[in-house]
Amino acid sequence: MHFLAPSLLLGLLAAVLPWLIHLIGKRRALPMRFAAMQLLLRSERRISARRRLREVLLLVARTSVAAALPLIFARPFAERTTDVPVASLDPQSAVIVLDDSASMSRSAGLSTLFDRARDRARALVRQFPSDVDLALLLASAGSSPKISELSPERARVLEALDSLVCSARLADFASALRNASLILAGSAHAKRRIYLFTDLQATGWEAGTGLAAEGAPEVIIDDVSGAARWENRAVLDVGVVPAPEAGAGGIAVDAELADYSAAGTRALGVALKVDGVSVAKGFVDLTPGGRGHKRFLHRLTSEGGGAHDVEVEIDGDALRLDDHRLAHVELARTMSVLIVNGDPRTARNEDEPFFFAAALRNGLPGAVVTVKLPDDVSPESLANTTLVALLNLAQPSEALAAALVRFVSAGGGLFISVGDRVDATVWNQRMAKLLPQPLGLPRTASALPGQHAGEIVDDRPAERLAPIDRNHPLLASFPEHGEGLVSARFFKYMLLDPAPESPERSVILHYESGAPALVEKQVGKGRVMLLSTTVDREWTDLPIRAGFLPLVREAARRLVGVTGDEETASLRAGEARSLAFAGDEQRLEVSRPDGSVWVARREQANSARTVLYSETDRLGTYHVRAVGPDGTVTARPEQDFVVNLDTRESNPARLDPALRPDRIAAASPGAKPPKHRVELWHTLAAVMIGLLLCESALTLRRRSV
Amino acid sequence: MLDPVDLARLASLDLRARTIVEGAFSGMHRNLHAGTSVEFTEHREYAPGDEIRRIDWKAVGRADRYYVKRFEDETEMHTFLVLDASASMGYRRRGISKLDYAGYLASALAYLVGQQGDAAGLLLFDENARSFLPPSTRPGQIREVFRLLEAAQPAGRTDAALALGHLGEQIDKRSLIIFMSDLLDCEPDEPGGGEARGPLPGRLRQLRARGHDVALFHLLDPDEVELPFDDLIFFEGMEPGDTRTLLAQAPDLAEAFGRESEAFRDRWRAACLEASVEYRFARTDAAPAEVLRAFLADRQRAVRF
Repeated sequence: MHFLAPSLLLGLLAAVLPWLIHLIGKRRALPMRFAAMQLLLRSERRISARRRLREVLLLVARTSVAAALPLIFARPFAERTTDVPVASLDPQSAVIVLDDSASMSRSAGLSTLFDRARDRARALVRQFPSDVDLALLLASAGSSPKISELSPERARVLEALDSLVCSARLADFASALRNASLILAGSAHAKRRIYLFTDLQATGWEAGTGLAAEGAPEVIIDDVSGAARWENRAVLDVGVVPAPEAGAGGIAVDAELADYSAAGTRALGVALKVDGVSVAKGFVDLTPGGRGHKRFLHRLTSEGGGAHDVEVEIDGDALRLDDHRLAHVELARTMSVLIVNGDPRTARNEDEPFFFAAALRNGLPGAVVTVKLPDDVSPESLANTTLVALLNLAQPSEALAAALVRFVSAGGGLFISVGDRVDATVWNQRMAKLLPQPLGLPRTASALPGQHAGEIVDDRPAERLAPIDRNHPLLASFPEHGEGLVSARFFKYMLLDPAPESPERSVILHYESGAPALVEKQVGKGRVMLLSTTVDREWTDLPIRAGFLPLVREAARRLVGVTGDEETASLRAGEARSLAFAGDEQRLEVSRPDGSVWVARREQANSARTVLYSETDRLGTYHVRAVGPDGTVTARPEQDFVVNLDTRESNPARLDPALRPDRIAAASPGAKPPKHRVELWHTLAAVMIGLLLCESALTLRRRSV
Repeated sequence: MLDPVDLARLASLDLRARTIVEGAFSGMHRNLHAGTSVEFTEHREYAPGDEIRRIDWKAVGRADRYYVKRFEDETEMHTFLVLDASASMGYRRRGISKLDYAGYLASALAYLVGQQGDAAGLLLFDENARSFLPPSTRPGQIREVFRLLEAAQPAGRTDAALALGHLGEQIDKRSLIIFMSDLLDCEPDEPGGGEARGPLPGRLRQLRARGHDVALFHLLDPDEVELPFDDLIFFEGMEPGDTRTLLAQAPDLAEAFGRESEAFRDRWRAACLEASVEYRFARTDAAPAEVLRAFLADRQRAVRF
């Protein structure tokens, strides 16, 4: 213990005062010859133990109080040796960068690496001389800076450190160090330093250090992991696919597992959880650094709604975040599709609905598909139908057109494809309320399109689709460049007459010429989708392209307003999700795994009527709801999504020392470790107050005896 | 009735005794003895305190003076006043000492006995029998009792059992024995007496077994009842050879001391009850006449029933 004013310790002599008073008091006792000594001694024996204890306690309390006062005035402090970088003792400008990526949440003793990093950052901040300017940044991708201006206010930095929590995001050191470098560029101090607290995992350094080769600040890395070997196991991926062999609602859950250890793992427990309840368990052997797979078959029920959280969990290790992975699946409502075959043929593969019905039956296994000829269709036949497809129908009867208007307005879906038999004039007249755009003249392609490598092509002139917009929910499941869709060739298609701009109408696909290929329109509670070409091979080879099945499946789902019984979109922590407004929805609400709700208003949406949701810090299922103009809330399960860990954070590989950006050592060998001063007078003052209270209580008790 | 301090201002013990007796007997008879025999022995001139029913009206008619009849028991009854004069009886802080107080009571009783023409004797003791005056009805006996009482000084240790043993050897007639002591350092439960009682209760029981009427006056100073001190006090024993000391904050001890003192008196009350000895407790700040009056009233009630 050390003292700021040691001369005041002379006051400790006051501690003998209570003893002197006690001794003098004894001498000043009145002598008395007393006859009833026996009674007196008996009384004394009866109370002596309590009385002596109280007297001793009183004496101790008074002595301690007398000693505490000069001790407090002498301002005692203790010096604790810390292992914070020696460089912290210089006058400087410093940016503290704290790695809050997912790997930092792994446990290290009783706390996590992130807690340890934060504690060390606190110690560093306290260690800095008072004239050091400080800023505070986080190293996870997409994180916002905590304190982005240099300031000498240590309390502010300490407060910001206290409020930090570890994220589940990927690390991005290049961005963090670049930002730190930019902050330090405006520093008044000659010494500019970046203090990085991290576990030195290689993940996050892929983009380099982000620092300029010349004039960059010094970087000091504090490896909070202590370079300890970290062995990890992770669930890399979870896929859910329909499994009709398991019965109605049957799903197959495929989990990919990884081992990051030197010895491998025997009998690693793998459990399947559905809606938080463990329903199956198995074991997997993993080779050192190898991969393993585990497949579960399970039957989902419709109890509690068709949506289910499917989770695969392995035996826990230090990093809990990657020991489980989630998928969210929605059981399809029974879809009843009525296909009106406008161009029946005797050869099955030439029949208009051949490819379309096959795509529906395979893409939506639970769907009930009925094909009828136009003369067999009556308005009554729409009663138990959820989707009507009019394929190359010459002209709908007026009764059918009126019935279809009622059907769609009430929430039904209508798919229209055209062909040689379509009478555009009659269609435009009878189906005006339903058509997204009036039908025009057919157009035949006049040029040969480019040819993809290895592609077997028809030699007719054709057009292709323009690049797709994956922000549209219907196209979100397609690969980034629309493979399987943009390769389709369109020899002929029907032009659509211009229609006034309307929020209810949107073009989903265009041809290269700019003409609309797939257009949708909201009518009442239902939707109408118009494909301006055929669904057989007469005008296009789209039906034999890989993208046809998912296109038909997604179109059917969107028209009926349900998702399929397979997993919904899965994002990595920190990734953004595009959410689309439909119809006259005024608000979208995202309910997060922690129960909080994020709200987007219609006014915030862009021209494609979508908003970007980026607060995907927490792992789990995010549910989307839409609020209509009249305040009615509707679930939007097709927009639900899950957020899982970016599994690159699971890899314990350490950063190659050659790639480290350290410019000076955290601690030079042989240098005296810095000391941290801990003021003790507060504690002493608290103890003294406690002693005074004890003394008062004992004195009062003595008087009451 | 005068309190002990006022009595102390009176010039002589004789006067004090008379004052106490007059105070005690205002409005009541002064019959001390409980004896009732039917065998007439002699006449005695009437004295205040004699029962009216004992006046021999025939003798009054013959001699024109008042005479009362005396019966065998009454003429045979002697009164012994036994006083503890050990050093502890000298304790006083305010008022008078226990020995002085015992002297007031004893002189009043002696005066009363003398007035009734009975024989009164006196034994002053500490660890030995210090002064012994056999009972007698001779003229000057009461004055001799007063003289011895006035001359008595507290000194020496206490051995009440020894004194009562000595007394038991001296008296052969049925007597009233009035024993006055503070009984301090004398526990009724101390081993050595008969029937699991201490030596003093044993002696008292022996006296009762021989037909003596025994009354015990337990005298204590108010300080020995309440310990009403405020300071840190260094207590020392009073009697010779008593080396016991205690340094204590008196207020800390007061409550426990009060309980101990009360328990001590209760033990003696129980021991006396068991030995058929009349127990009377008196604080030295109580008016002696009141103590005497209560004593006599109880005895008269005992005669009637």
